Amino acid sequence: MGELLAQTALNALYAASYLSLVAVGLVLIFGVMGVINFAHGELFMLGAYGVVVFYADLQLSFFFAIAIGLVFVGLVGLGMERALFRPLRDNPLGGLVASIGFLMVLQALAAMGFGVRMEHVPPVTQQVISFSDKVHLAVPRLYVIIAAVVLLTALWAFLKKTQFGWALRASAQDPEAAALQGISINQTSRIAMFIGAGLAGVAGALTAPMVSVNPHMGHSVIVAAFIVIIVGGVGSLEGAVVAAVAYSLVHTFVTTFYDGVIADIVGLSLMLVVLIVKPTGLFGTADRA
Amino acid sequence: MIIKFLKDSVTRRRFLTQSAAAIAATGLSTRVLAEDKVIKIGFLAPLTGPVAAWGKPGLDGCIIWAEQINAAGGVKLADGDYMVEFIGYDNEYDPAKARTGATKLIREDDVKFVMMLGGDTWPGAQPVADKTGMLFSTLLPSDLSPDTHTLLAPAEVHPIYNVTGVEWLAENKPDLKTAVICAQDDALGLPSVATYLAAFEAAGIEMVEPPLLFDPATTDFAPVVTKLIAKDPQIVCLDTCYSDYVHPIVEQLFQQGYKGQIISCTADFYDQMMAKTSVDFMEGFIFQFPDFDDPALNADNINFQDPNGFFAEYNKRHPGEWGAVSWEYASIMDLWKDAAEKAGSAEPDAVLAAMKEGGKGKHAFGTADWWGEDLFGIDNALVGNWPVVVIEGGKAKIKEFRSIPDWYAKHGDLLKKHMADYGQMWDQRG
Repeated sequence: MGELLAQTALNALYAASYLSLVAVGLVLIFGVMGVINFAHGELFMLGAYGVVVFYADLQLSFFFAIAIGLVFVGLVGLGMERALFRPLRDNPLGGLVASIGFLMVLQALAAMGFGVRMEHVPPVTQQVISFSDKVHLAVPRLYVIIAAVVLLTALWAFLKKTQFGWALRASAQDPEAAALQGISINQTSRIAMFIGAGLAGVAGALTAPMVSVNPHMGHSVIVAAFIVIIVGGVGSLEGAVVAAVAYSLVHTFVTTFYDGVIADIVGLSLMLVVLIVKPTGLFGTADRA
Repeated sequence: MIIKFLKDSVTRRRFLTQSAAAIAATGLSTRVLAEDKVIKIGFLAPLTGPVAAWGKPGLDGCIIWAEQINAAGGVKLADGDYMVEFIGYDNEYDPAKARTGATKLIREDDVKFVMMLGGDTWPGAQPVADKTGMLFSTLLPSDLSPDTHTLLAPAEVHPIYNVTGVEWLAENKPDLKTAVICAQDDALGLPSVATYLAAFEAAGIEMVEPPLLFDPATTDFAPVVTKLIAKDPQIVCLDTCYSDYVHPIVEQLFQQGYKGQIISCTADFYDQMMAKTSVDFMEGFIFQFPDFDDPALNADNINFQDPNGFFAEYNKRHPGEWGAVSWEYASIMDLWKDAAEKAGSAEPDAVLAAMKEGGKGKHAFGTADWWGEDLFGIDNALVGNWPVVVIEGGKAKIKEFRSIPDWYAKHGDLLKKHMADYGQMWDQRG
């Protein structure tokens, strides 16, 4: 039983890591721009296809492919900010609808460029760290855990210690007051969108060798990410991380000890309970909820 | 793929030359010219979306089939020779789109026969079939019911043929006595779970856990695999999981140190699974869908025309894309053509009558019986032998053809019991 618990905890840690990256990016975009980006799962998908192109097809280094993916998906995010969200800044519902349309465009482009079948991404390494006969951690999964810790720590430092970070937080708290202090809302929106999209892209790129890469792969990720940000409190970065860990623990343990279908039901029930008990989410505040 | 296209450094002149050659070759080989008489066949299946792997390769196979048949003179009916043309409609595995597609294919395109994957999409098309009397085929006999006499399952009796793999396993590896199953919770997964449970029970193999069902939206299979192998089963059964699930599950089994037997309905793109695990890990993997370059398919009793040539042509056009359904829709067309020529007509009722004449039909893997009343309420499934395929030395090999009716004669009651337990009998489906 001890080994089963340990293996399940490692599985949950991996799930929490990539889900945190996706959810934090989603929260950052919402926090600064007030837009619910439904195309966030497709940014995750673009990151995975970046690995397909640069690592699997062009046979460049895996980590170089991830870096290119981060920049490319970040630039797509910038494009979305400029072309979709900025013109609709005064209409939050308009941004949401535009992002739904854009996710379909991205899915169609992926299907046209790569076909509808899953892409084969060769393993980065087949190394497995074995703690015992029944407790294993594949090294590619360890990469995801390390990347999540490093990137989220770097984001925390950026937001707390740099002027750009202060500007982002000020814009998130009160955009009008921030603008009156000389903070460019366009500039903070661009930064938020680049970072948010880039995090989703990195998550997709890192997990690409371990999942089925296809044009529709963003769907299940975005569903889990929405549950996480609702539980954590919409607009709260800390809440997103805590909720990602909590959701992943619950979902993974229920899958292992009961089954996957029940795990989905429990995950959704968790969200409902939080909404009933604390409608703003665990770390949310009333003005953003 | 875009990158491959760019890597080939295509010049404008080369592109135009090759395009012209391709157009000319296509026109000559298919011989569907303006003056030809044409029979249109509807292909109503998922061509995009998560289930496209069980639709699109079938259409690719049918296009090769049509070119070969048209080059040989077409379908010979009472009033002359007809070329065959496929009209594809992407239902995206969505029942509403299946209904729209069925209506469009029949009313606007005037097709004479509609091939489907079936499953969740059949309820969408069924009212159209009932209203028009159009002849339909499905790959999933669990769609059959006495309500629709014009729906046939002539290619495969999914999931009943899975019993042959378990039966072979039990005879050839009698020491393996414990098993677990995982499956996605959907119209493909559940009847297959019931079938494997019956097959394992018939073979005296004990289930150490109830079947583990997972949400079709699952992407991380580590928790599923941790649970599957927690009690050290000797056999892990992957049921009829889609390729998108089989690959990550197998990779997880490898990463979590599993060393036992794996059995699965399909192992599409098994070379990719080997790349993610190892040749040794995949050794002995049992499944049900052969590569068509297998010498065993050249036997006299095999009715599929030139399987080795078809496989070579398919791989030339679609390298690395051969899958479970690449040949199946084409094999249905062999049966349809045979019946249409026997009837001298392409009209659905005439073809249906000719197809079922004598209660037997030429299935791809040998002469088979129209069967199914026990399970489906109607004898519209063509059932005979099915191959057991095992990966040996990195290559899929047919080990044996086994008789599904023979297994059913001995263990049919078990199968009905498990099907009923999972609500999969035809009279239980809502």
